[in-house]
Amino acid sequence: MSSRFSAMAGPAPARWDYLLVPSFAVSFILLAASQLTFLKGSLYADLGLGSLAANASAGNYATLLTDEFYLNALLLTLKVSALATIFTLLMGFPVAYVIARMRSRWAMLLLAGVVVSSFVTIVIKVYGIIVIFSADGGFNKLMMALGLLDQPYTIIGNQTGVVIGLMQFTLGFGVLLLYSVVRTIPVSLEEAAMVHGAGRARVFWRVILPLSLPGIIVGALMIFNMCMGAFTSASLLGGGRVFTLPVLIQRAVIIETKYGMGAALAAVLLVAVIVINLVSVYLVKRLSAARLVIA
Amino acid sequence: MNPNNAPLAPPASRVARWRRPSVGAIAKYAWVTWAYLFLLAPMVVVLGSSLDGTTAYSGVVFPPQELTLKWYRQIPASHYNALGLSLVLGLSVAIGACLLGIPAALGVVRGKLPGKSMFLAFFRAPMQIPAVVTGVAFLKLYYAFGDATGLYLNATFAGLYLGHLFVATPYVIGTVVSVLQRFNLRLEEAAMSMGASRWSTFRRVTLPTIMPGVHAGALYAFMVSFSDVPIAMFLTAPGFLTYPVELFFGIETDFNPSVLASASLVILFSLGLLLLVQRVIGLDTVVHSRS
Amino acid sequence: MSKAWKRFGAPLLATVAAMTPLLWSVDAAAQAKPFDGVTLRVGTFGGPWRDDLVKYVQPKMEALGMKVEFVIGSPQDNLAKIIAARGREAPFDVVEILDAQIDQMADAGMLAPIDYAGIPNANQIEPWQRGANAVGNWTTQEVICYDKGKFAELGIAVPTTYKDLANDKLSGRVMYADITGGGGLANFAGIVYASGGDTTNVKPGLDTLKTFKGVKFWKAGGDIVSAFKAGDIYAAVAHTGWCLRAAKFAAANVATSHPKINAGKTGVLKVGWLGVVKGSKNPAAAMAFINAYLDEEFQVAFAKNSGVWPVNKKAMQRLRTEDPVFAAMNMLDAADVERMLRVDYKGVNVNNWYDQWNRAVSR
Repeated sequence: MSSRFSAMAGPAPARWDYLLVPSFAVSFILLAASQLTFLKGSLYADLGLGSLAANASAGNYATLLTDEFYLNALLLTLKVSALATIFTLLMGFPVAYVIARMRSRWAMLLLAGVVVSSFVTIVIKVYGIIVIFSADGGFNKLMMALGLLDQPYTIIGNQTGVVIGLMQFTLGFGVLLLYSVVRTIPVSLEEAAMVHGAGRARVFWRVILPLSLPGIIVGALMIFNMCMGAFTSASLLGGGRVFTLPVLIQRAVIIETKYGMGAALAAVLLVAVIVINLVSVYLVKRLSAARLVIA
Repeated sequence: MNPNNAPLAPPASRVARWRRPSVGAIAKYAWVTWAYLFLLAPMVVVLGSSLDGTTAYSGVVFPPQELTLKWYRQIPASHYNALGLSLVLGLSVAIGACLLGIPAALGVVRGKLPGKSMFLAFFRAPMQIPAVVTGVAFLKLYYAFGDATGLYLNATFAGLYLGHLFVATPYVIGTVVSVLQRFNLRLEEAAMSMGASRWSTFRRVTLPTIMPGVHAGALYAFMVSFSDVPIAMFLTAPGFLTYPVELFFGIETDFNPSVLASASLVILFSLGLLLLVQRVIGLDTVVHSRS
Repeated sequence: MSKAWKRFGAPLLATVAAMTPLLWSVDAAAQAKPFDGVTLRVGTFGGPWRDDLVKYVQPKMEALGMKVEFVIGSPQDNLAKIIAARGREAPFDVVEILDAQIDQMADAGMLAPIDYAGIPNANQIEPWQRGANAVGNWTTQEVICYDKGKFAELGIAVPTTYKDLANDKLSGRVMYADITGGGGLANFAGIVYASGGDTTNVKPGLDTLKTFKGVKFWKAGGDIVSAFKAGDIYAAVAHTGWCLRAAKFAAANVATSHPKINAGKTGVLKVGWLGVVKGSKNPAAAMAFINAYLDEEFQVAFAKNSGVWPVNKKAMQRLRTEDPVFAAMNMLDAADVERMLRVDYKGVNVNNWYDQWNRAVSR
């Protein structure tokens, strides 16, 4: 019986590999072709009305890397993405933890709310945000009634609005992700700690947080990537004044038809994201290794 | 778990909750309430203001002062067209992502090729490229392809489909991989030892077991495609717009209260979809199969 | 008798009965509309502007058998759409463009020549508005639209030029035209010239703009109406039409002030044109649409509702008396209109303007 078994198990693994081939081929072709043509396209100067110069040159990149305006745009993009990521995590982790540890049926309901939120496109949510934060909208009415503000505060046309929009974009997704991270930590660990006399705060800081850290970092990275690539919030809430790289890219390609510069801007954004991802992955590996040593 | 068979003391959290709400518990629930308010308020506002009859022109009123359904009757035809396109596109992308993603996941998890983590990283790469970059890249790819062959895929269904498929497939691969990694191969071995053929085993043992992962991945793929703005922005054109892009341009240049009604319909549709998901596959499956 | 009836009468009657639908259709064919089955796509401004076109022009077009679809965007957006469509069919047949784009587009061969045989109403407009590649369809006067009540309340004098909007009391209460919106280029030119610059040196205008504290930007005119309605702003720089709409739909207590540009010029004139995109499959239908746009009745109705100044000479005459609100907001005297700033965009590097604008307004 066992020999028949192993004979059957023999050729099987190699055949699984072949399944990879079509998907790999399609993904590879799409990835390579799209990235190569766009990077190539960034090497041509824009002549106006959508036409490109005949010869390749690094002119677009020279402009991007030396012009303060574009460098500020890169920093601004990093800044709003980082802020949105941090606030989303700060807001989302406690929520994820509470739901993960809930035993009642409320947990599913709360999760449902989060999932609905991530189904709905960001444009709709931005409409809502604009209304809530308008001069006679709910937020300002409440703040003025409470005496915290004596003039309506606007979030359109400044970075605050953009960060709020990015948080709306990523919070639902972040909660779902962090929820599954917390679920991987057995409750028994917390109980064990408490049985040994640790208060809830200590349990959180010394047990839950360290164990969730790799998952949190992975989640943070995904949220950060989402923010770096999003222009909807910045376009609609930025009031034509907050120029993050995605906004500049959208303007360059869709409105100004400067295809060369648009591609160059996109390339700079891509490089920035790749670098940050690589650095973070490296940090996570160091952290995990450190943990293993301690454990 | 309990070697001494002594009764376990109830967990401290439960004891605390039933006795009196501690400061920590209040803070905890307040925080959750605040987060949900933040998350759901904009949608509630859109729903509410779509029912208001007093806005004569641009100027959203909430809470609604005069209830009416008139804006729902005035939703422009272009919105319905765009909605139809987004739905068809989303479904096709979900199906395509599964067709590509399931074999890829099987190949990576079960194959004996070296560098599995590299393959996984490669398959996940599209998720890490900023969406706007993917949009521009595909736009330029289609222009270059069109200049060379005369066939322009810009603003065509095929062009949009490829762009969305590119970013949606990783989601299916991710969820199926995580289900496969928990899969007990002995189930397959048992079936085969009973005389089942390879295909029959796959169809009757493997596939049903990984189905939760497939469902979850397909759902994510649909969501990604249906709500995408950055990629569709570059791959659409007037007369061929997806719903989110139609809304985006609407808010920029053509605001009208009927847009709120249109958006509310989509919110209600999402709720409906959620209920369907809960019925058919169950929410916890969806949520638990993130790798 | 019955035998004859059976042999001839019944079949004859049956034949006549069978032919009746045929007779009907012959009659109907005689009434077939000239543009049956044609869908004309028009690139135009959105919001209330488009709604007016739907209300007044679309029915006329439908009577001719044609379906009209509107593609919404500012002229800058629409130019970009035509460019983006290379290798494929253009996204519209007729497009509303501004003086700022028309030369560029004609030079690049994007516009089809106008067939004036299809536009009899064109002899009711000024000769200079009958271009080879575009037909003038409206003009607007770009002004400072301010809330009379609020200005009086805050003790601010009536603004006579752009610099007056730099008042501290107006901090965060001023809305200017975003350069990528329909009103952008004309109003930008206005503030540039008023600050001592010109089409090659726009920095003075940007410096003035930067002195408006907390200035907001509008891309679609509807933004102005909702901002006045919400009490967000006390002054906006746009054309008189939006001021008219703010008065009508936002119940705003507004008046217009034509900004002094320099010693010889007061006020800014923006000229709108209708062009037919080259390669359009429906040039005859396009000409019919343009003809309807120039029709006296439409021009009067459109002007009253949207506040643009018509090009149809008879319509111009009628508006002076028929709509006092409109008359009060606009400058009606030909001599005054002559003294308005009209920029010559030939050879101007507008992309450079966009670039400098982005740098100046970024936060």
